[in-house]
Amino acid sequence: MANVTAEAVEAQAGPDSRGAAGAAPGAAGDRTTRGVWPRRAGRAGRPRERDTVPRALRPGPVGRIVRGVLLAVASVVTVFPFYAMLVLSLKPGAAVSLPGSLLPWHLSGSSYGTVLDAQDVPRWLLNTVIYSVVSVVGVLVLSSLAGYAFAKKRFRGRETMFWSFLSMVMVPYHVTMIPTFIMMAKLGGVDTYWGLIIPTLANAQAVFLMRQFIRDLPDEMFEAARLDGCGELRIFVSIVLPLLKPILATLGTFVFLWHWNDFLWPLVMGQSSDMRTLTVGIASLQQQQVPLSQVLAGSVIAFVPIFAAYLAGQRYFTEGVTGSAVKG
Amino acid sequence: MAAVAERTTRPQKNRRGPHARREARIGLLFVLPCFLLFLAFRFGPGVAGLVLGFTDYTIGDTTHFTGLENFQRMVHDPLFWSSLRVTVVYSVIAVPFTVLASLALALLTRRAFRGSRLFRSVFFLPVVTSLILASTVFIWIFSTKGPWSDLMGLLGLPDQSWLTDSALVLPAIALVGIWSRCGYGMLILLARLQDVPRELEEAALMDGAGPWQRFRHIVAPQLRPAFFFLAVIETTNSFQIFDAIYVMTGGGPANASYSLVYQLYDAGFKYSDLGYASALGCVLFVMTVVVALVQRLVLGKEK
Repeated sequence: MANVTAEAVEAQAGPDSRGAAGAAPGAAGDRTTRGVWPRRAGRAGRPRERDTVPRALRPGPVGRIVRGVLLAVASVVTVFPFYAMLVLSLKPGAAVSLPGSLLPWHLSGSSYGTVLDAQDVPRWLLNTVIYSVVSVVGVLVLSSLAGYAFAKKRFRGRETMFWSFLSMVMVPYHVTMIPTFIMMAKLGGVDTYWGLIIPTLANAQAVFLMRQFIRDLPDEMFEAARLDGCGELRIFVSIVLPLLKPILATLGTFVFLWHWNDFLWPLVMGQSSDMRTLTVGIASLQQQQVPLSQVLAGSVIAFVPIFAAYLAGQRYFTEGVTGSAVKG
Repeated sequence: MAAVAERTTRPQKNRRGPHARREARIGLLFVLPCFLLFLAFRFGPGVAGLVLGFTDYTIGDTTHFTGLENFQRMVHDPLFWSSLRVTVVYSVIAVPFTVLASLALALLTRRAFRGSRLFRSVFFLPVVTSLILASTVFIWIFSTKGPWSDLMGLLGLPDQSWLTDSALVLPAIALVGIWSRCGYGMLILLARLQDVPRELEEAALMDGAGPWQRFRHIVAPQLRPAFFFLAVIETTNSFQIFDAIYVMTGGGPANASYSLVYQLYDAGFKYSDLGYASALGCVLFVMTVVVALVQRLVLGKEK
């Protein structure tokens, strides 16, 4: 899970997707107007997605019932673990056996209090926020600068640099993890925020995504600003960055999610309890035989921000997947 | 994507003017922070990781170049073969079912209807959920008195903890993998389904083709590249299975769920045997490359 982002964006950078995208006609281009996840229509006069399906291709009454049943089953299977997580976290000490334990009565929030008091959960939450937010800001700044240069500037070694970025996408993260850890051990970065964060800022996929996006921006605007005497930094800040808003939001959402859910790297780097992130902390609770309701309370605490972000920025999540993997 | 290769040069520019030099300077300046980080934390470690596989590196000790010794040791290491087997078996179970489940979800939510977007959102939710969090629930789901056991009881199977049975532990973890990944595949396939020309399907409908025939002859061929893409992504992803195992079983029972990355983690960070861990990383790298190459070959042949 930790690398949803990685591979969503990797999909775009990897040689694989080139094959995938290239082989299907008409894949690229019009995703903005015909998204998988069309914006709520009506206001702009665009027809609702539903009305554009020809009647002949809509399922008949029997088809609709079958579809309804299958969808219901799939939804229950999908949602059940979330429901169980929530309800069981509210049943401290209760025998966790079916079916009684899953009914939503006799609830008590005491597991939340216990896990927040007795464990380092608030500290882990803080660590996770720091890890995620700083990384998002860092990756966005670095990759938009580099993406702009790769897309719009000519300089010696540009292609070599760019392809060396891309070449690393094939190398599994676990291969680079060990030498990076050794380096951090020597530099004294283990168990520190900077040791945790800095290595993750080098995000080749983000640079690639930025470059692809910026390349499609019209040059004339930059030229005009330049003629008006704008400095390069000024052009970047007041012209390029505003144009990048959609891609910054999409990429930012994904980098945030990736870091929030990341496990192995924080596990390796956070040696003391104080430096754990939520995922690492919850895994450690699990191993210490902490009662289930408390572990699940911790899980809910870790899940709520992600869920809120998902509700708020669903469009960005899904654009991050389809835009990067399919558009190519 | 073909556009990647094409250079984004602006032809009418004077190459050597002061303007060009300034542009080059700015370009380098903008790329540099990212590039230096990349050299230090990706490219360097990537190369080092492959090289370390040929040494006996441990922190704080002198390092020797040992050639193929790690790999010879690997050949005689039953734990390596076991972890390789676990990784492959896991992939063989998880990948096909993930792709099939993705296809089912994509087809179910393909046509827009009342609530279709809500269903898509629901099915995608596990993808944004950390496997660590999900695993804490799935431990209970798979426990002796958990709902999974009850479900199996309805089918006449004994209620037992799937996570403590060495024959059932990988299917159980694969179920978690499928649950968490099929929303991603759904989205990829949905995107491609939008591009299936509607006229073709309508024409087939006029000719009296049923749903299965329409799927078989019109939709499936269009989806093929997306299938390959998914298969590769999911395979390389499942080669790296670690998070769920770490929380749910710790590699047990009796190493029945001890994966390659788990061994890499243990070798490197529990036994400080970083040379051997790097050699295991090389194996993972080769596996990843082979899968990508196979996919290239298959797709190349099609064109």
